[in-house]
Amino acid sequence: MEQVASQIGIKGIREGLLISVPDRGSLADLVALLTVELAQKRAFLQGSQVALQVGYRKLDKEQVRQLQAVFEQNQLELWAILAEDPSAREAARELSLATRLSGSQTDLNGNFLSQVAEPETAVANDMPAQGGLILKETLRSGRSIYHEGHVVVIGDVNPGAEIVASGDVIVWGRLRGLVHAGALGDETAVICALELTPTQLRIADQIAISPDEKRGRAIPEQAAIRSGQIVAEMWQR
Amino acid sequence: MNGKVITVTSGKGGVGKTTVTANIATALAMLGKKVVAIDADIGLRNLDVVMGLENRIVYDLVDVIEGRCRLRQAMIKDKRQPDLYLIPAAQTRDKMAVSPSDMILVCDELRQEMDYIIIDSPAGIERGFRNAVAPSDEVVIVTNPEVSAVRDADRIIGLLEAEEKGPGRLIINRLKPEMVARGDMLSIDDVLDILAVELIGVIPEDESILISSNRGTPVAMSGLNGSSASQAFRNVAQRLQGETVPFVDLTPKTGLLNRLNNWFSKS
Repeated sequence: MEQVASQIGIKGIREGLLISVPDRGSLADLVALLTVELAQKRAFLQGSQVALQVGYRKLDKEQVRQLQAVFEQNQLELWAILAEDPSAREAARELSLATRLSGSQTDLNGNFLSQVAEPETAVANDMPAQGGLILKETLRSGRSIYHEGHVVVIGDVNPGAEIVASGDVIVWGRLRGLVHAGALGDETAVICALELTPTQLRIADQIAISPDEKRGRAIPEQAAIRSGQIVAEMWQR
Repeated sequence: MNGKVITVTSGKGGVGKTTVTANIATALAMLGKKVVAIDADIGLRNLDVVMGLENRIVYDLVDVIEGRCRLRQAMIKDKRQPDLYLIPAAQTRDKMAVSPSDMILVCDELRQEMDYIIIDSPAGIERGFRNAVAPSDEVVIVTNPEVSAVRDADRIIGLLEAEEKGPGRLIINRLKPEMVARGDMLSIDDVLDILAVELIGVIPEDESILISSNRGTPVAMSGLNGSSASQAFRNVAQRLQGETVPFVDLTPKTGLLNRLNNWFSKS
């Protein structure tokens, strides 16, 4: 008995408790085991939601009810039965119990899957430690690039995107987001763009915002610090 | 059969994701396709109301995922279209009750027998969004011609690209041609200028959408008074099938009101 009792596993999961029981032996033995185990740990477990893992044990509706009753007596709510046997799952379903956990490695019927492909979250990793960084893409809202060195974007920088670089920033496209050049204090850093309409520009510790009026045709411009202020100048050399 | 999973998302709330989902699903079903719409907005379900199927819900998506019922039992058959189904969201749970891998499982099973699986994504970029996007073959982004909605759509497109779900295709919803003509609203070109993705539909602001949604009959089906929105949704469905359908002319200079004015002044 003592040896079997240790086969009852209890662990915490997101949905509450997961209690696994041996799939051999009679139901009466199992009920007895559970009763003892739950009574002992009552103070610790009280009020939890329980998912019961029964392995290959076969259960009919009446037997599931019996198990439900055991948990009820101990103020525990049995909400799911995880079973390998389809008829046990069917019995649980008829009593409105869940038969699988969300995100578990089983198909929708509760059968074990050999492999579940969780989509990998791509991590943008475009920041080598040093040197120039060239990005041939449009930086959309929410994107942020930190780089020690110069940054060149071939594409647009949309509102909500930001680039922070210790060197210069050149945008071969429309700059409508936020750019901070010379972020480590270099006041000679410049920001160039084919269309310079940023939400905000920063060079070293200076901050500037675009004038409100709309301009007609976009012209390439360069922003730099001139006598302590950021100014945008037409591109001509 | 190998059905296609299309996720409808937007980032910002209130731009019309649910309306668009209901109407695309309805319009595809009207073209004779087998369609199932899935409400992935666990805890804030709406799609059932817009489709007028609220009172028929017995099981929901979370019941399927937790194995309380079979997939087939949670599929509610539409009142009017024989090959249109809805899998409603659970109202009493939250987004954490579903995982991206669960959604992939559900959709893989549905692909066997349906032509299209249309998923209504919740607003936001968190778990609910990732659940809705995980199984998708194609993403439709809904935005309104206003700066904040476009900003969020841009963020969503960036996230989709990072997850290799493609840039997606765009629906501009609630466009008011007369406001665009006055220069008080972003035009289609302004929106495309920022988002730079393929446009798949422009839905004009139309009272009949609200009326139809409240009645639980998607406007694509009811076609209230030959509403322009109804036609626009049906055009989207055809474009989703790969057909080339010209866009209804809503350009600022020939906006509906102007055209009417011109017509009156001529006669």
